[in-house]
Amino acid sequence: MSLKEELFARLRGAVLSGDPEEVVKLCKRVVEVGIDPLEAIEKALVAAILELGDKWIRGEAFIADLVAAADAMKAGMTILKEEVVKKGKTVKYLGRAIIGTVEGDIHDIGKSIVATLWEAAGLEVIDLGVDVSPQKFIEAIRQYNPDIVGMSALMTTTMLKQKETIEAIRQAGLRDKVKIVIGGAPTTEEWAREIGADGWAPDAISAVELVKKLLGVK
Amino acid sequence: MIRPRLEVLSKDEIEEIHVRSLSVLSRVGVEIFHDGALKLLRDIGAEVDFNKKIAKIPEHLVNEALKKTPHTVRLYYRDGKKYLELKPGGDTYFATGSTGIYYMDWRTNEVRIFTTRDAVELAKVIDALPNTHIFGTVYLSDVPELFSDKWFDYIALKRCTKPFENEAREVEELRDRVKLYAVIVGEENIGKKPITYFAACPSPPLKWSAVTVYANLMEAAKYGLPVEIIPMPQTGATAPATIAGAVLQGNAEFLSGLVIAQFTRPGTPILLNPSPVAFDQRYGTACIGSIEVGLMSAAFAQLARFYGVPSGAWITVSDSKVVDIQSGIETALGTLIAVLSGINIAIGAGMFRSETTISLTKLVIDDDIAGVALRFGKGILVDVETLAEKLIEEVGPGGLFLKYKHTREWWIKEHYIPKLLDKTSVEMWKRKGAKDLVTVAREQVEKILREHVVEPLPPDIEKELDKTMLEIAKKYGIEKLPPLPQV
Repeated sequence: MSLKEELFARLRGAVLSGDPEEVVKLCKRVVEVGIDPLEAIEKALVAAILELGDKWIRGEAFIADLVAAADAMKAGMTILKEEVVKKGKTVKYLGRAIIGTVEGDIHDIGKSIVATLWEAAGLEVIDLGVDVSPQKFIEAIRQYNPDIVGMSALMTTTMLKQKETIEAIRQAGLRDKVKIVIGGAPTTEEWAREIGADGWAPDAISAVELVKKLLGVK
Repeated sequence: MIRPRLEVLSKDEIEEIHVRSLSVLSRVGVEIFHDGALKLLRDIGAEVDFNKKIAKIPEHLVNEALKKTPHTVRLYYRDGKKYLELKPGGDTYFATGSTGIYYMDWRTNEVRIFTTRDAVELAKVIDALPNTHIFGTVYLSDVPELFSDKWFDYIALKRCTKPFENEAREVEELRDRVKLYAVIVGEENIGKKPITYFAACPSPPLKWSAVTVYANLMEAAKYGLPVEIIPMPQTGATAPATIAGAVLQGNAEFLSGLVIAQFTRPGTPILLNPSPVAFDQRYGTACIGSIEVGLMSAAFAQLARFYGVPSGAWITVSDSKVVDIQSGIETALGTLIAVLSGINIAIGAGMFRSETTISLTKLVIDDDIAGVALRFGKGILVDVETLAEKLIEEVGPGGLFLKYKHTREWWIKEHYIPKLLDKTSVEMWKRKGAKDLVTVAREQVEKILREHVVEPLPPDIEKELDKTMLEIAKKYGIEKLPPLPQV
């Protein structure tokens, strides 16, 4: 096994076991020995998270493992991305997404799981957190220029904010620049249609399929 | 005579959870998205950071709040006379699951969003059932969003004589809604004879949203209406994966709500009504029919007894997607645990698909399960008469007990007669159409809807209620109240 192969194998193992310190250490080593950082991202970091994501979808892994792995992957990404930029290249993602729980709603978990799975599927995800106002969504669209905007609401009361936020995005003239997807326990497909969202997902797995479809990838 | 009792924590373990809850409250604190609540806590001596919205609550405030909390809570029927008495370790009553957003049509098994008509059907069946005591709130989708909670008040008051659970859906004063209750029980009795209580769910871990803390907790307390505080730990997601840790965190959330309520209005009736769930790491689902929910609920019930407050739990809900064996198993286990744990309100009748859907078919089955469990909870009466030594002697070896007065007097007292569970012989069952439980239950729903009559409100009160409701409706752009359907 070459040094590269050995490092990639260890890196995949460290991502799978959710060990950010080890991932950081190995990524630094990758940079030191002059291995192509883009290749390391693709063949080690992303490969590991995709493997675990597939396992989870088959019911063979736990969400806690996936979340820990995504964290470890992100820790490594920071280092390798820096190196990619230094070399004047860019990291290739399936697309870029921003995601947040709408204003008035402070529930984190559904949104965070979706964000993790999107990352695991190869998207660049910017998590805006909870209680995100329409204005903050608009600012984030301007700042990050995402392909996908995800909005979560757990409560029937805050579901209304999804409508309000989409309306605000429309008024800001940004509606055609993004695909908007919504989710959350009280939401339905009819609701998504009514408020003019581009898609709705009943659970986290469907949320991955949904954005892939919207981005035109398999 | 002892009542069968279930305990899952030792006295020392309860105290340990209590002490560590206090430690979490004073060191970590709770995050509250409402400045009014934060100010209240600061004014009574909590350490409040308004930027971070964090309030750290010292132990003495919890102790003072506990002293102000009533040990017994009464929930009144619409007539203002009959009531359910909730006291720690006392009787168990049953409430339909809240807050359902879907309704399974008992005729077709179609699952769809909840409408007014469905809620009226549900109200009628609850009113008729002997072991279903409280109308849990539902979420109606055929009226304007922010009007739907008031509309639920109206349906519950008009079409059901039993107490009902409530939830405010916007950060607002309860002034208008309280007028509806005043029409029924009189202005002076809104808090004295509460016919409804409000649901206040902190968002775990250790967070309170504005609508919860203000409308459902502080506003309800202001009027003396009972408040159920609903810790909802999800094991391994929004709470520790361990049962003890999840209960500890939920208990800290409960105590923070208790402090806010008692310092808003001393003597506010409080219920510790947790809705713990098992987070399934395989699917990312919040499972409420899991057996660990029973363990956590039983632990919370012991804590409630320790504090001297009544308790409830979302413990009879099933995760099954259809009314089937799984829904029966999960509900039956939860129901029995509730009764044995001395939980005062076992919540979840009729509810399945986790906390989303109500089925009348399941509701009538659950009512029968409740009857079974309540019978078990009564235990065994042991005295000279029930031991029946004399009778055994009188009947003698090889005799038959059928004709004796003792039999005729005691059999009915000692047995619960199920309405739906089948106890016939195979031949009788065949002659009666060889039906399974779900079929029998559906026929029972049909029979109740056909035969039961909900006692109407006195005409003058009904008129006043309609008038009061219309005034509220106008604020939401509704100029004429839609008539409630006859079901």
